[in-house]
Amino acid sequence: MSPDEPSAAASPLEVADDIDDESLADVMRVVPLGAGVLAGGAVALLVLGYLAIYLLVFLPRGTVG
Amino acid sequence: MSELHSEVHERRILGTELLWAVGVGILVAATLSTIVFTALTRDINPPSNVERIDPKTLHLSGEFTEHNLGTTVDTDGTVTARVIATQFTFVPRCIAVPQGRRIKMRFAAPDVIHGLLITGTNVNTMVVPGFVSQVHTEFTRTGDLLMPCHEYCGLGHSEMWATVQVLPETEFKPDSDGRVACAKR
Repeated sequence: MSPDEPSAAASPLEVADDIDDESLADVMRVVPLGAGVLAGGAVALLVLGYLAIYLLVFLPRGTVG
Repeated sequence: MSELHSEVHERRILGTELLWAVGVGILVAATLSTIVFTALTRDINPPSNVERIDPKTLHLSGEFTEHNLGTTVDTDGTVTARVIATQFTFVPRCIAVPQGRRIKMRFAAPDVIHGLLITGTNVNTMVVPGFVSQVHTEFTRTGDLLMPCHEYCGLGHSEMWATVQVLPETEFKPDSDGRVACAKR
């Protein structure tokens, strides 16, 4: 690709979509909630796993210091 | 897309991100608090003994000479196990310890960095030449526990392991010198 050749992103025909404002607004209303639920669920599972190991395995094995 | 819509979306996303940041901050604070709380109230800390020893004369004089290795019971009833970690074995290869008594384990290395853990317990320490690694613990169940070297120390690393034999109090009998050897099985 030569430096003079225009990028495809510069052409509205290449990047424009046919989604209207109303549909986009509908989607954007739930996107943050979905992201929160997904990330929150993943972190909650991680924390539960950590707590389970900490409380049920690590603490009963006693101190070593 | 209109300016207004765009602004509303951005504000909503920013709000979600802020909420997430607060949530994660609380989680991190809770985790650190748990660690600090147990450290202060239950004395749960990583082994942090800093005690120097000359690795060149380890076997010649002092506490880690051959006749002093293994488990000893002092006159005050304190149980101490002394072990040398060396390429590619632990000396001794079997350590007898009593069940349900707090014991002290001391490790030293004359050659390279080793490490060890005892399966099913929180005992896990590095053994660095020039320092004595010390761990206190209490074994709650009887039986033979594996104690492998967990720091790569050379070609024979995978063959470097010992056994910790946890004996019931009735079978843990020191001889006249206060020494306890593993029971033959």
